[in-house]
Amino acid sequence: MTVPSGDFLDLLKTHGYEFHFDSSGLERVSKEANLELTEGTTVVAVRYKDGVMIAGDRRATAGNTVMYDRADKVLELDEYSIIAVAGSPAIAYEIARTLEHSFQYFRRSQLQELSLEGKLRMLSRLIRENFPMAMQGAGVIPILAIYDLQSGDDGDGKIFFYDALGAQFEVSDFATSGSGSVWIRGVLYHLNRWGKIPLAKMNENQAITNIMKLLETASEYDAATGGYNSRSAIFPTIKTITRNGIADLQTEKLRQVYEKSVEVKFA
Amino acid sequence: MLDEPYRYLEAVSNRRDYVEDQLRQGSPIVSLQYDDGILLLTIGRGQRKIYEIHNHIVLAAIGHTADIERLRLLATDAASVQGFQSSVDDVTLHRLTNFLLAPTIKREFETIFSSPIIAKMLLVELGGVQRESQFISLNYDGTTQVDQRTGVLAGNEEIESAMRANLSDISQNLSLQAAFELALETWAIGRHHSLQDNNNNQDDEDDGDEDVIEKKQLREAVQEAREQGEIEVGILDVSRRSKSKFCLLPTTETDAMLESARDKL
Repeated sequence: MTVPSGDFLDLLKTHGYEFHFDSSGLERVSKEANLELTEGTTVVAVRYKDGVMIAGDRRATAGNTVMYDRADKVLELDEYSIIAVAGSPAIAYEIARTLEHSFQYFRRSQLQELSLEGKLRMLSRLIRENFPMAMQGAGVIPILAIYDLQSGDDGDGKIFFYDALGAQFEVSDFATSGSGSVWIRGVLYHLNRWGKIPLAKMNENQAITNIMKLLETASEYDAATGGYNSRSAIFPTIKTITRNGIADLQTEKLRQVYEKSVEVKFA
Repeated sequence: MLDEPYRYLEAVSNRRDYVEDQLRQGSPIVSLQYDDGILLLTIGRGQRKIYEIHNHIVLAAIGHTADIERLRLLATDAASVQGFQSSVDDVTLHRLTNFLLAPTIKREFETIFSSPIIAKMLLVELGGVQRESQFISLNYDGTTQVDQRTGVLAGNEEIESAMRANLSDISQNLSLQAAFELALETWAIGRHHSLQDNNNNQDDEDDGDEDVIEKKQLREAVQEAREQGEIEVGILDVSRRSKSKFCLLPTTETDAMLESARDKL
């Protein structure tokens, strides 16, 4: 007799579901059909005074075509975990959905939360299983942000990023991923090293201001990253994770910060 | 021998007596609606009795731990797979109960050469946009009873009737605290009847049921139970931000609610 593992992927397999599928020939078929895979763009996470702030632009592109300008790349997994995805939305959303259901299933079946390490390994496993697809151009490089209630007296915000094979790395201050990340990674380092205050000591408004400036910088240099459209109320998705759980930053708040601190008006 | 009809009926009857005897002393479970959702309450002896099955569905049970676990996992697995492969909206209490749990329990109850399932369940579903909240009692033989506003579970039908009577004139708008107080009072009524039932069995004489139970007796029932265990309160709350509407209230919160209820019970 075996003890139930609480592994949702194993349960799904018994019902005929496989996370990965045979992707051999995808590249050839997509070329023959002149098919461009839809891709996501720039996501960023920073540790700030109260926890972690995590954000993403809203654009999804396929080659030179803007497919969608209201994509949501910052996805909640449970009350204290968020994944931000850059890459192929089809794979990214499936990874996020599988993780969300896996965490829930473990909690419901085993009557305890999945450990931090268990959550990290689950994401590694999904990225690794997707590697053949990544080699065909349908990859995902996510950032995982978690508020770890077990860390220290009051808990602590943590940020992890991954490579294409599923290796996981914890960063102390910030992480960014996607095609626009190359333009802002150096800026993040500069801000953290020589800014007025280090990222980890910023309050919420300071963190929002910096993140909005960073995403605008990425959109300026990377065509696959969407900018702001105040008229159509298209702003980045920004969420926080603190000891009290996850909170959405509402559009009106983002609009105020944008107009006050990001948008430069010349007389 | 059992292919003779009356032998079969006798075997089923014996089985019924055996299971009912095993369930008699189960700690009652009460569930009712309040302003923002549904509350479930019991007092256990360390063993958890209220379980989350899916975002909007909860199971509470009395009986043998191994049987409860088996059925709980069966329901959790089915709900989780359906919720993933289709939609949370397709995971309904009606489907889980009528197509999965009730047939399984009935089949095992009537398979008289195997050990019976010693468990009774209360399944609760939080209503949605086009769905009313539901309370389904699932008996050890697979029979069900559906209610829209409250649900109770206890060792036998007499105890459950007494508990239902206490919930019969429930008001429409109850705060969480008011629902907690009513649920605790109903639990104490169930517990009182359960202990009385046990004493009657032991003494083998019927002193006659007391129609009116004094508050003091209810307080004693709660106090006695709390010496051996904790008050377990689970809620399905529509105002919760997360997709799952279920949470078990922490002991600090139930203690504070009990303190506020002290004068009323």
